[in-house]
Amino acid sequence: MQQIIAQIINGLSLGSIYVLLATGFNLLLLVAMIIHFSYPQVVVFSMYIVWIVLNATGNNLILGVLAGVVSSIALNLFFAPFFQKVMKNRGDVDINSTMVLSMAVGMIITDTLSHAFNKGLPIAFPTQLTGSGPMLRIGLISIMPGQVWSLVVGVIAVSGFFLLLYKTRQGRAFRAIAEDPAGARLVGIPIISTGFQSYALSGVMGGITAILLAMMLQSASPGLGENIAHKVLAVSIVAGLGNLVGGLVVGLALGVLEALVQGYVSGTWSNAIAFVVMLVVILWKPKGLFGMKV
Amino acid sequence: MAQTETTASPILKVTDLSVSYGNIKALKKVSIEVFPREIVVLIGANGAGKTTLLSTILGLNTPVSGTVEFEGRRIDRISADRNVRSGVCLVPEGRGVFASMTVLDNLLLGAHHNLANKEKNLARVYEWFPILKKRKDQVAKTLSGGERQMLAIARALMSAPKLIMVDEPSIGLAPIVVNDIFNILKMLNREGYTILLSEQNANKALKCAHRGYVMETGTISLAGSAERLLNDPGVKAAYLGA
Repeated sequence: MQQIIAQIINGLSLGSIYVLLATGFNLLLLVAMIIHFSYPQVVVFSMYIVWIVLNATGNNLILGVLAGVVSSIALNLFFAPFFQKVMKNRGDVDINSTMVLSMAVGMIITDTLSHAFNKGLPIAFPTQLTGSGPMLRIGLISIMPGQVWSLVVGVIAVSGFFLLLYKTRQGRAFRAIAEDPAGARLVGIPIISTGFQSYALSGVMGGITAILLAMMLQSASPGLGENIAHKVLAVSIVAGLGNLVGGLVVGLALGVLEALVQGYVSGTWSNAIAFVVMLVVILWKPKGLFGMKV
Repeated sequence: MAQTETTASPILKVTDLSVSYGNIKALKKVSIEVFPREIVVLIGANGAGKTTLLSTILGLNTPVSGTVEFEGRRIDRISADRNVRSGVCLVPEGRGVFASMTVLDNLLLGAHHNLANKEKNLARVYEWFPILKKRKDQVAKTLSGGERQMLAIARALMSAPKLIMVDEPSIGLAPIVVNDIFNILKMLNREGYTILLSEQNANKALKCAHRGYVMETGTISLAGSAERLLNDPGVKAAYLGA
């Protein structure tokens, strides 16, 4: 019993990372109208920035966290004009071009990480950030600080995101564009600048995720982004593209599934098994469990 | 109906406007004027270019040639969101409301650039459309066709417009609801709003308008006062079913 609880806590904290990433991905899909499956790569790049800043400042945590969030916003906004340019040239949404662009962004980041930082070797985050031992111990269950933080901050960040979406003027504009871009333009929503706001907001979410990932995994490598990107794309499609609530449920479910497989079946096969399960789900429901919203 | 005030300068002046979609010329040198506090109607069959004209005035299409002036200022080639901000708005054909959003959210979207006065405008809109107040927390897809049309008009009013363009408000509505909608437009006109209307329902539209233009295949074929158009033999034959 205790082992199950431990694995579920493991899974939920991992799942909350998937939820954050799927939410940022869906926001970009719904409002900026791009398929940016390399968004997790951008997040991993920010993890490296956090590592550099921590190293340079003698592990100043405030500066490290700040660097994560700021670099994620900056990198998202840096690539935004390229995406917007493709969309403007084609007049309307052109998902195919944005996918090629996103692929390029992912490749450039992965290559940069494997050439320019730490000779391409994995980086390890200092214990000042990750904590040196379990934060809580109840019988057999020991919970690491990274897990607690990613659960707590994940819940706060996602709630904050939904509050923004449903209670503010900007959120209303986001929802209008998500439902009907032409109609939103007609009522006077500035499509381009609202699109840029969605890049910035997914940058904020990405920065928070970068810190949580660093605390939880305690390390990072150039290939990490791609690995997570596959899962986030799969979560979003299995949930139903653009379905925020679906992404929330499926993201948590994938985390728990992975943790249970790791705990009871095999640590090394968890990715393959998780993808087999998602394969079955997508064959059963090709439009996603919760329905597409795009 | 009140007489047109020809002494005032037009709030909207469209001159020799041409718009193309690829090889198709949707508008060919169209010129119209709308004066403050008028109801002007564009009459024409499907595909005559009414919707293209209205959406080009709003700034959704870039004209090939010609100009659009609003309050004496060029507004062609200016984006729709900036034109909405300066007081032009369009109630789209087919009651384009955001179906999954609440009535209140739809109204507030209209006030995107005008949130400072939202309470005042909301109160006024609720006074004119009490049904919307009753349904303010319902999602728009639960509304009837007529209620959606009211919501689309009310949303436009939330932007504090100086010119309201209404595209085919009667399409797909029951005759009794159509009467309601035209009564609302007349009421808004009495309140001081300037309205540019596009309609296939020529009879009803001309009865509530001051002036009208007849559009055929992208051009203005006839213009004049509403009474004149109502009695014109060509208009009668083509649009009034007489």
